[in-house]
Amino acid sequence: MQRTFSAFAKNDYAKYPFLKAAIKHIQTLDLKIQDLIDPDNASILERAQQRLEEAILDSIVSLDLKHVDIEIVSFPVAVMLAIATKDSFIKKRYALAEANRAYEELLLEPREKIIQLAENFEWKIAATHDSGLPYEFTVSFVDYLRNTTHLRETQWKLVNRMLKTGTVYLRMDDVTRLLKEEVRRHIEQRLDTEELPVLPAKMIEIAEKMKKLVEETIGKTEREGFPRTVTQTAFPPCIQSLYQAFSTGKHLSHIGRFTLTAFLASIGMPTESIIDLFKSFSDYSERMTRYQVEHIAGEKGSRTRYVPPKCETLKTHGVCVNPDELCQRIYHPLTYYRRKLQR
Amino acid sequence: MDSRAFVQNMFREYYAKDFSLGEDFPSIEKREFGFASFGGWMLRHKSFKTAEELEFFLQDSVPYGAYFSCAYYEDPEADMNKKGWLGADLIFDVDADHIPTSCNKIHDEWVCGSCGFAGRGIEPEKCPSCSSEKIEVNSWPCEVCIETAKVEIIKLVDFLVDDFGFSEKEIRLFFSGHRGYHVYVQTKSVEPLDAIARKEITDYICGRGLRFSSFGLDGKVLATKKGAFKVLADLGWRRRIVRGIKDAILNADEQKLASFGFSNADTRAILENKEKILIELEKSDKAGLIKGIGPERWEKIVNLSVSLQSAKIDTVVTTDVHRLIRLDNSLHGKTGFKKVEIPMSAIEDFDPFKSAVAFTKGEVTVLVSSAPAFKLDDETFGPYKNQKIELPTAAAVLLVCKGRAEVIG
Repeated sequence: MQRTFSAFAKNDYAKYPFLKAAIKHIQTLDLKIQDLIDPDNASILERAQQRLEEAILDSIVSLDLKHVDIEIVSFPVAVMLAIATKDSFIKKRYALAEANRAYEELLLEPREKIIQLAENFEWKIAATHDSGLPYEFTVSFVDYLRNTTHLRETQWKLVNRMLKTGTVYLRMDDVTRLLKEEVRRHIEQRLDTEELPVLPAKMIEIAEKMKKLVEETIGKTEREGFPRTVTQTAFPPCIQSLYQAFSTGKHLSHIGRFTLTAFLASIGMPTESIIDLFKSFSDYSERMTRYQVEHIAGEKGSRTRYVPPKCETLKTHGVCVNPDELCQRIYHPLTYYRRKLQR
Repeated sequence: MDSRAFVQNMFREYYAKDFSLGEDFPSIEKREFGFASFGGWMLRHKSFKTAEELEFFLQDSVPYGAYFSCAYYEDPEADMNKKGWLGADLIFDVDADHIPTSCNKIHDEWVCGSCGFAGRGIEPEKCPSCSSEKIEVNSWPCEVCIETAKVEIIKLVDFLVDDFGFSEKEIRLFFSGHRGYHVYVQTKSVEPLDAIARKEITDYICGRGLRFSSFGLDGKVLATKKGAFKVLADLGWRRRIVRGIKDAILNADEQKLASFGFSNADTRAILENKEKILIELEKSDKAGLIKGIGPERWEKIVNLSVSLQSAKIDTVVTTDVHRLIRLDNSLHGKTGFKKVEIPMSAIEDFDPFKSAVAFTKGEVTVLVSSAPAFKLDDETFGPYKNQKIELPTAAAVLLVCKGRAEVIG
């Protein structure tokens, strides 16, 4: 059995190349970007490209423990390639695929190793020995929430967990699942940048190739986007109700207004048409309305286009009404709309 | 004197002589401040480097309401999306407006904005006369309302300490100055929580999305498995559910159960098995299956427990990571009360009609149109109907702020 203070081994760096210790290890190699096009290092670049291809095609990266050194170094190179694509789909998919791979390995790790890995991400985690409890770990609720808020199954809701003085009691498989989320978010954050050193032409070429690969193999709907026309019959019941209330000049709560505006903007209703809707409203002010709608639609301000809250949030705030059969199978009003359009 | 000028003068005096922000106000320079004026406009995106600077501003501007952000920003004066959000305190609001109370809000007055039709109590969704939905409410800060809110706050604090593990130092309680309470959790670990994480916290406290089976307490298990209460440790909501059932069953009588919405048959079954249910909860070896309480009845009992144990907080406030909230020790324009901090140990005995009184000197003559009886600083007033009367300043300010009296002379 490993002792808790033992450092990670090289094999661990290959399995989990995003660890702080792995990054340190790579730094000691003192490899420069220009070195990557050196024929002696061809296998690094090849493996990096392969990592991305596997991510795009299979949503999981393979693990090659026969060539540990290449396995370790090819990770930061693949990260650079992913950034160079400037393609949000590729970035997301790559982070997910690396996390999926790490997860497969995590499932095989002993409890002590799991704790070390979690501590790499500064989790407050401890082994619990409470007899009579079917749990192996306690994790601070903050670490728990950070990694569960977009898991949809109700079992992940904090309210359904054993919470005591700030820690959540968890089983081994819960913790590995949470760690997978942590890894995915961690890599996504690393990819969330435009800043890159000047890359050799060969690397730019690979990035372009990856974009082509996505275009050829991934369906348009998966790469997102709604048709330009608004189909009212495909609105989910909550939006339908807000829309009707609104267009007849009834009062809507703040969150109701936001949900409706963000929904309509997200499915491509022109800003002017949304503002027209607001005109029926008794406290209508053209200036304020324009300001709010344009911000939510991402035309002004931060340019973030807001999306409506997910179903669960709408339930919390009492916006969810008359859920129908399709509602049972979706988690977001936009998904409802997309599914209904496909029918 | 005009009534608005009177209130404004009193507020001016308060901010000049009595106001102080208090020592415990972390990172003032990173907060956004907002102010509502007596004229009805709103000033936002202000910031202050020091408490003195803020105090000077209040003396100078004499706002109707003063607010600060739960959020910390790099640049609090910038446009919303350029402020640079650094984190936020975790805040809670419990307001009697959102909770059913035994007074039934009979002291509240409402009037239809379209046709002028008026009434008392909980306002209707639509005007009974013209069906307009523009209903304006003139609420009253009644003792029953505020007491009801206090019960919810005590439940909330129990969640924050026992389940979330915050220390008493990290939790701060305030009376809002009107009909509710605010709670701040101020500690580094909560600052980065996003809106979704905060929503999970509110769902936890409201018991929303709770699945009984997560705790081995679904009706089917309780009705068919012996000793279902024995198998798991009482942690989290499981502990609360067990506690809630015990409370509800111990005090159960026909009237109570009916008020919780139980049918006659349910009520009879529960009362007949009261002892057995309590034994079951004690986890004693005598526990066994209870005839007459099937899966559905168990679910109803557990449901009742959850609704009794949850705290009725305003979910929108907690999930808004940019929220502006009333400033500590500032005056509430609807009452003339100040928002005051309550030491955790004093919450049970806290009396806002004493501790939140900002004006303690002088008398003012007012013409009261209508007001229910109320207590202020241990003195009882009213009820009043169309009468001229000399009142202590705080009582006069309250009635004028509420639009129920005019200053004379």
